[in-house]
Amino acid sequence: MSWLPLSFGVPAVLWGLLALPVIWWLLRLTPPRPQMELFPPLRILQRVLKKEETPYQSPWWLTLLRLLMAALIVLALAEPIFNPRDRVASGDGAMAIVIDNGWASAPDWELRVATAERLIEDAAATGSPVVLAMTADLPNADIGPFDADTAHDRLAAAEPHPVSVDRPAIFARVAAAIEPLPNPAVAVLSDGLEAEGDAAAFQRLLAPASSLVWIAPDDLPILGTVSVENRPDEFAVTAVRAADPMPRQANIVALDEQGRGIAETVLSFGPGETRASAAMAVPFELRNDFSAIIIDGEEQAAAVRVLDENSRRRRIGLISQAEADQAQPLLSPLYYIRNALSPFADLVETQSADLARAVPQILQQKPAMIVMADVGTLPDEAHQALVDWVEGGGTLVRFAGSRLAAAEHDEDLLPVRLRTGERSLGGTLSWTEPQPIVGFPDTGPFSGLPAPSEVTVTRQVLAEPSSDIVERTWASLADGTPLVTGDRRGEGTLALFHVTPEATWSNLPISGTFVEMLRRIVQLSRNQGAIAASGGENGQPLPPYRMISADGGLVPPTPEARPLDFSAGEPSVTIENPPGLYGGEEGVVAHNLLPRDATFNPIARPQTPLPITEASYAADEQVDLKGPLVTAALILLALDTLAVFWMGGLFSRRAAMRPRAASTAAAGAIAAMALSILMLSPGPALAQDQDAPPPATQQQEVSDAEAIDAISRTRLAYVVTGNSSVDSVSRSGLAGLTRFLTSKTALEPAEPAGVDIETDELSFYPLIYWPVDAGAPMPSDAAIARVDAYMQAGGTVLFDTRDQYSTSLDAGSSPANRRLRDILDDLNVPPLEPVPEDHVLTKAFFILNEFPGRYAGSPLWVEASLNAESRQDRPVRVGDGVTPIMITGNDFAGAWATDSDGAPLFPTVPSDPLQRTYAFRAGVNIMMYMLTGNYKSDQVHVPVLLERLGQ
Amino acid sequence: MARIGAATETVGTRDALARARLRASLVPDLLVEARRVVNTVISGWHGRRRRGIGENFWQFRPYVEGEAVSRIDWRRSARDDNQTYIRDREWEAAHTVWLWADPSPSMLYKSVGASVSKESRALVLVLALAELLSRGGERIAWPGLTDPFGARNGAERLSSHLAHATALPERPDLRAVRRFSDVVIASDFLDPPEETMAWLDVLARHGARAHLIEVADPAEETFPYSGRTEFRDPETGERLTAGRAETVAEDYRSLYLARRAELQAWCRRLGWSYTVNHTDRLASEALVRVHLSMGEPSLIGMHA
Repeated sequence: MSWLPLSFGVPAVLWGLLALPVIWWLLRLTPPRPQMELFPPLRILQRVLKKEETPYQSPWWLTLLRLLMAALIVLALAEPIFNPRDRVASGDGAMAIVIDNGWASAPDWELRVATAERLIEDAAATGSPVVLAMTADLPNADIGPFDADTAHDRLAAAEPHPVSVDRPAIFARVAAAIEPLPNPAVAVLSDGLEAEGDAAAFQRLLAPASSLVWIAPDDLPILGTVSVENRPDEFAVTAVRAADPMPRQANIVALDEQGRGIAETVLSFGPGETRASAAMAVPFELRNDFSAIIIDGEEQAAAVRVLDENSRRRRIGLISQAEADQAQPLLSPLYYIRNALSPFADLVETQSADLARAVPQILQQKPAMIVMADVGTLPDEAHQALVDWVEGGGTLVRFAGSRLAAAEHDEDLLPVRLRTGERSLGGTLSWTEPQPIVGFPDTGPFSGLPAPSEVTVTRQVLAEPSSDIVERTWASLADGTPLVTGDRRGEGTLALFHVTPEATWSNLPISGTFVEMLRRIVQLSRNQGAIAASGGENGQPLPPYRMISADGGLVPPTPEARPLDFSAGEPSVTIENPPGLYGGEEGVVAHNLLPRDATFNPIARPQTPLPITEASYAADEQVDLKGPLVTAALILLALDTLAVFWMGGLFSRRAAMRPRAASTAAAGAIAAMALSILMLSPGPALAQDQDAPPPATQQQEVSDAEAIDAISRTRLAYVVTGNSSVDSVSRSGLAGLTRFLTSKTALEPAEPAGVDIETDELSFYPLIYWPVDAGAPMPSDAAIARVDAYMQAGGTVLFDTRDQYSTSLDAGSSPANRRLRDILDDLNVPPLEPVPEDHVLTKAFFILNEFPGRYAGSPLWVEASLNAESRQDRPVRVGDGVTPIMITGNDFAGAWATDSDGAPLFPTVPSDPLQRTYAFRAGVNIMMYMLTGNYKSDQVHVPVLLERLGQ
Repeated sequence: MARIGAATETVGTRDALARARLRASLVPDLLVEARRVVNTVISGWHGRRRRGIGENFWQFRPYVEGEAVSRIDWRRSARDDNQTYIRDREWEAAHTVWLWADPSPSMLYKSVGASVSKESRALVLVLALAELLSRGGERIAWPGLTDPFGARNGAERLSSHLAHATALPERPDLRAVRRFSDVVIASDFLDPPEETMAWLDVLARHGARAHLIEVADPAEETFPYSGRTEFRDPETGERLTAGRAETVAEDYRSLYLARRAELQAWCRRLGWSYTVNHTDRLASEALVRVHLSMGEPSLIGMHA
């Protein structure tokens, strides 16, 4: 099959295609001759059977459909594999394969490996050596040349790294490696991203090469997060992508320490935009829990940005000189500041009151902001350090006080020039009123805050009027004097509250506005550098803590990861310092992949006079065609079924035909399932016979079900003798009695049950009717014993010899009678007597004097109630218990037997309708006696009891 | 597969005379069979249980002025000084029972499971009833063939009439049936129930009591066909081909039984009896039932 990229796993099966003509012949065959049948009720059959003639020949399209189906199945069984593979590199020289395995290769790494596999295979075909190099590997990694097998192994072991590629170094090594080889071809499997020094690197690489295979991805769908920013009211994320005319959206998810997503936003790139920002407007408490920001769905390292403390809570240094008196905390200058800032900032305080020591201590923590409460003059050394810090981006917030009011002007650390001394408003010796705050100018950081009406200021320090005082005013009082002034110094910010941080000069510190103002200022600030967890000052390296893996997950450090060394400035992301968190439990530093100004530029193909083969990434797509072929065959099967239904006129049938159609369809579906299982299973499918559970279990279940069925309703029972005519008479007789009972009494028995005394459980039934049949085999001793146990346990057996007619002359000699004697020999039979006149049986429901069946005249024998007292004043003798045995010869069942219409099956002898009625009444009385016992004999006491009760 | 059902009729002429001859040759055998069946049934035929014209003693009652003096029982009267007694006899008015068995070609059907054809069974049943009834002194008749007659050898006379009849109509003319008569109709009742009810309705209107005996072949009831089968109606010759006969078996059976149930309900409503006799069962079963339903009418509603 050289003209088709097809190969077959089991080509021998293809001989099965030879069967197609046979199938065609079979399908074209006429349907089998029908069996001719004479059928008188044809008019009834006509109503269910539509004219359903299979045509002489199937239509050609149906034959084609079926042939196609057969061909597909044969082809599927041959396990075809579609393999569109072609040779990439020509030439028979050495092959150098340079693979970019930086972070941008991670999403489709398999594809790159597959492409490299093909190149190695091509090289193996000519037996040429292979140089295999990865541009993001360790600089001392072995690059060959290898033979094809080793190259395969090394390729299989290669993996992408979450770092940028280092083309110049690796290309130089490759160039050195291929120089001695003859006629070397270079294959560059680039990740599509331009990197620094590409031009020179390619020049170096291609110098010794004889040809170039250039493989670059067609497009660059990767996104990378370049910066995150914890802004005052939101968390901003900026991402970049390669130039793309299409708009794109991506989901940004913020994860907490445990890797759970706690915030989400959508980042939208407009058409042609390469950089986009998104903001997560979530409360700052939640923002402080962010530990990483990821772009959802991107499986590469650039889409993950880990966060450390720097992008979270600000460190704020507090400096005060009047902190001595701890007994009166409300008077402490830092008390309100501490309470206002602690929810959203880390406070850094110093124990030392000596400013020369306290300021450097604070600065060592690299705070974002320093609050100085009423500090007048700073020592020169501390002053210079603070100025440098502010110039470098720090935010210094100062509060006024008596010390500041008395201090010299400090141009560097105060936003405005102050008048010496303070101003008092609304005192006892003053005409002026305490001043409220009138509002916050829109230009300042407090813009938008509502003016607090309850805040009044009684004392303040005053700024010298100047031309730019208005610009520097962040808040002012009603008389126009500034309350808060601020100014920028270099990268940093200075702010001055013209009141004290405690509630002595104004009630501003105890208002909610104070908290809001401080928060605004805090959000202006930025942490000034990372705090080194183990003392970054002395440049001790930080050990790797959590690394970002190439596929964008957070993993434990890899063996290659080395501690992060800050001694030589900001460390770069290398294979030895992969992106991730460095440090330990007590503090980490984030080391992220992309710098803030990173861009994704597509790599350009190097300009070279060498012959260039361009290829694209494509795996050896070994498409297994078995599944699609089987699917197609199944679809055809379904079509075929539908077509057959349609031709059969099924869809135009009445709704009553539905069940049959459903069952046919179900059968078809089952067949299809079976076929698909057969097709899809790799080996011979061993269908497990699940329909046959262990026999013992089944037996147990069935007998349970029968037991529940037997006892859920009262039933009459008869002994199955084995003689079918006797049994059917017993059954219909008890059925007739059941109907009679249902219509005449409150008892509504279920269908009568036949019991086999050898095996069946007898105790479910109150009464067992036993027609004694001399022709039936004698019950076994075990069965007799079971009957005996049943009788002893309270059951009653009604023996019916059915021989009254024939033995009227010679009683006791009929075969049935002899059989009864045989049976009773083995039973514990109590003394018997014919039913006495005052027995309960005669009054249990109807009042009866005799118990006729189909015959009349045979007495009904019951257990003799020897010790029962028979009193004249009682209509019924008193006695306990129910007789366990009754014997008659009157053939009760014959008299009770009726068909389903209620018409009797046998005439009574003599033929007397009244005798049948009495027979039924006898049956009712027996049944009532069975179920109620001697209740009736108690019932006769009722008149006496009522009399005693005085009724 | 062997065919399941066949007509007992020999293939050939459909001449009415030939069929009559065939039937005539069949009748003596059936007569013997009918006698044998009858002997197994104990005759429970009783008088009208009213006083009237008859042979058996019913009661003594005091003589009332105006009655015929010849009816006085002098022996009884002699034992009493004050009263003169009349001997009443039980009324034994002869009853007319119309008998008819369906002669249509569909009755000739007999399947492998059955011992006799439906026509044979129907004739046996009807002749057996004729024998039984004429022994009991009833008057029997065949609509369209004979007038009611009473004879000890009623079955023989009926069969000889049947043997000589040339063409029997498909449906009997039942207008001659009068009130208080019993009508026994043995047929397969395979027509739609509405048609059957329509042609039997005249009986209900005349106040006669009918006993319908449905003679059914087991193959008709169980529908044991499978595979591709072509069915042919013996009466109309119509053909019907079923691709897979077993698929319609369930529907067919329910329709077949529904027809029977409808007829049964109709009969019960009219106080008639409806007996089903399968040709693979004994004829005496149906005979006993029909005989019972003729003899003990009061029992029908008693236990239902």
